[in-house]
Amino acid sequence: MAGGNGGKGDRERDNSLLNDIRKRFIDRLSPSTLRSRIFWEATERLSRSRWNRPDWEADRISLSHFLKSTRDAYFKRAPVVWSNLLVPSEIIHGTECIPFYPEMASAVVAAAGLAPRFIDRAAEAGFSPDACSFHRCMLGCAVDGFLPEPDYLLTTNYPCDSAPLSFSYISRLYGIPHDIVDIPLPGREASLDLLAEQLRDVARYLAGLSGLKATRARERMEEAFEFSNQALGYLREIEEMRKRSDCMLDGKDAMGNISVLSACMGSKAGLEFYSKLAGEMRERGSEGDNSLRIMWMHLKPWYSQRIFEILDNYNVRVVCEEYTHATWEHLDPVRPFHSLAEKVGGHFLVGPVERRASHLVKLAEDYRIEGAIHYNHWGCRQSCGGALQVKKALGARNIPTLLMDGDCVDEREYQEGQIGTRLEAFLESLS
Amino acid sequence: MDKDRIVAWFCTYTPLEMLDAAGLIPSRHFGDPQILESADALLHPAICPYARACLAHELKADGPHHALFINSCDAMRRLYDTWKDAFSGDFIYLMDLPRNQDGGGERMLAEEMKHLAAALRERWGVTITSRELLRACVRREESRLAYLDSTRGAGGGERLRSAMRLHTGLEAGDDSDGERTRGGTAGTPILLTGNLLNPEGLVTWLERAGARVVWTDLCNGDRAFCSSTMAEGEDMDELLASLSAAYLERHPCARMSDSSRRYDLLVETTRRVGARGIVYASLKFCDSYLYDYPLVEDRLKEEGIPVLRLESDYTDGHVGQLMTRIEAFLEMI
Repeated sequence: MAGGNGGKGDRERDNSLLNDIRKRFIDRLSPSTLRSRIFWEATERLSRSRWNRPDWEADRISLSHFLKSTRDAYFKRAPVVWSNLLVPSEIIHGTECIPFYPEMASAVVAAAGLAPRFIDRAAEAGFSPDACSFHRCMLGCAVDGFLPEPDYLLTTNYPCDSAPLSFSYISRLYGIPHDIVDIPLPGREASLDLLAEQLRDVARYLAGLSGLKATRARERMEEAFEFSNQALGYLREIEEMRKRSDCMLDGKDAMGNISVLSACMGSKAGLEFYSKLAGEMRERGSEGDNSLRIMWMHLKPWYSQRIFEILDNYNVRVVCEEYTHATWEHLDPVRPFHSLAEKVGGHFLVGPVERRASHLVKLAEDYRIEGAIHYNHWGCRQSCGGALQVKKALGARNIPTLLMDGDCVDEREYQEGQIGTRLEAFLESLS
Repeated sequence: MDKDRIVAWFCTYTPLEMLDAAGLIPSRHFGDPQILESADALLHPAICPYARACLAHELKADGPHHALFINSCDAMRRLYDTWKDAFSGDFIYLMDLPRNQDGGGERMLAEEMKHLAAALRERWGVTITSRELLRACVRREESRLAYLDSTRGAGGGERLRSAMRLHTGLEAGDDSDGERTRGGTAGTPILLTGNLLNPEGLVTWLERAGARVVWTDLCNGDRAFCSSTMAEGEDMDELLASLSAAYLERHPCARMSDSSRRYDLLVETTRRVGARGIVYASLKFCDSYLYDYPLVEDRLKEEGIPVLRLESDYTDGHVGQLMTRIEAFLEMI
């Protein structure tokens, strides 16, 4: 979760500090810096210092977890597994491997203002600007040696084509294996068994990488399921609280939780994060009763908060986001791989767009939204390709939707003036 | 011709034998590149122009709009979504295609074929028998071999038109439409690789510039015919298992997981057909090929095979501007 609730003066001070940090440290980052103990000690100290003032204390837990996990990945303290969004992280935590989600790394790189440098590097390596910038940024980082070396690459065939394809390049670059898990279309029960088999094979391979014996591997997977199930319980509670009109958790903060949802389920940190967040939400007072409630679809530009400043100016709150919700039921440790297959295969991004549209319509109804914004990230065929059907489905419920073209990672493709004008016109039409 | 039995298809992983065996008429859709922008109201403009051209054409066409889509890429899946939304009531079906070409992939594809057979039975009341499926496989195999025979020595444009005639379900042999393209032995022999190209576009410009396209490693060209999908088996289960394996073993496109095998096949084909270089041409916004190119380029460099990368918007109105690059490449090789 990024951002803050401070005033203009605070923001200016923060920006000035950020710029200073950027010039002194971030712009000078090198692959060897990221592999030095001093860097990680300093970063972790900074994250615990008074300079880090998250709106939600739960964010300290996720930040601390990601810093530790990323540091461990650079130092190879366990086998490092690169994955994409729909790979169930329980399978990685449950085999004592370190998950690394390079698409999320791109978001972090973008937030640090470094994405253009790596996107240009990917272009030099031959990657077209028509491809998704999450992946181009990741590829540029990898080519220049900025990412922790993987021991294994694992992707699913959803949510988009880019991950299986870009990971193929990474596989050649590092000379390490890459497996693609084929998630079948919905309604194919026999193929769901085949999906479970694939996940079982992956788990065996990962346990082999970690050197886990069978008994220990079973215990660790059961523990990961327990963490995941408990975290799911808190996440459901958070969702219920967010449906209330007085809920304070705004989408601009909550959107970053996609990283926890994707990468931390099955870990102790995932459980602690959702437990803490649920506790904080229970304790906080009311705010925003008069705000206009909107839903955010796809992701946000990670390098700019400008859109959310405009939303604040219009007293509009993002009360739900497309990707931060639980989309599965409790996992069953007795039939772990079928259970994971159901989790993955049941995701709304698997298969035709009508599932995605149904998911979004349900969110719209549950959260009583009055408008929706679909951020059309350049190069994202799965998302942009279905945006018009989503808009139509929401329109049938009298929910106006703004389709806003932009780029989540490459700030050079962000037309601030144009986006601001369109957004303001849309918000005026809502009020 | 009973229009209600015509089923449009798009991707070369479509098991045509199953449609044949069900007594249907599979006809590949190539869309209308000249009006593809008219689909923008329904499909985002950063989606594959082939998908947009197909939708644009179909929106102007009379029904029925039966179509069988393969879940091969984001663009195909989104085209399916839009088609289904626009033409409800017709047979509009999305069939899965695993990326893995191993045993698990084969079993998954065989399951998909059973699912398709059930959907065809539900719609048309036909039950595909093993006898009909086997006969359909034989007919497709004969047609494939006839294509390879008839295109021996033909130029790139002719090869594409021949392939496309077969795919649309028309008879091969008549090449009266379109520009005659360079065959014989004149010109610099090149291999054209990529996804799907307009036969009246980039390929004709290549030949005008002095290239002799001796092999079209495209999904609407030779690649669709260079591997057999002949199935064997005593009963339906065996036949479908065999057909699935055959489809997954065919010369793959960039979407499939086994890129090493594809690069090996590309290098081997280039040498076999005597091409002196490769033109890598793909449609805009096709992620499979956008991510593939840097790897192909590296491999071809290792093999000492020159390569030129070009991009097509399916209309290819811009190709004249590329002539200098094309001519320089041909001179270089």
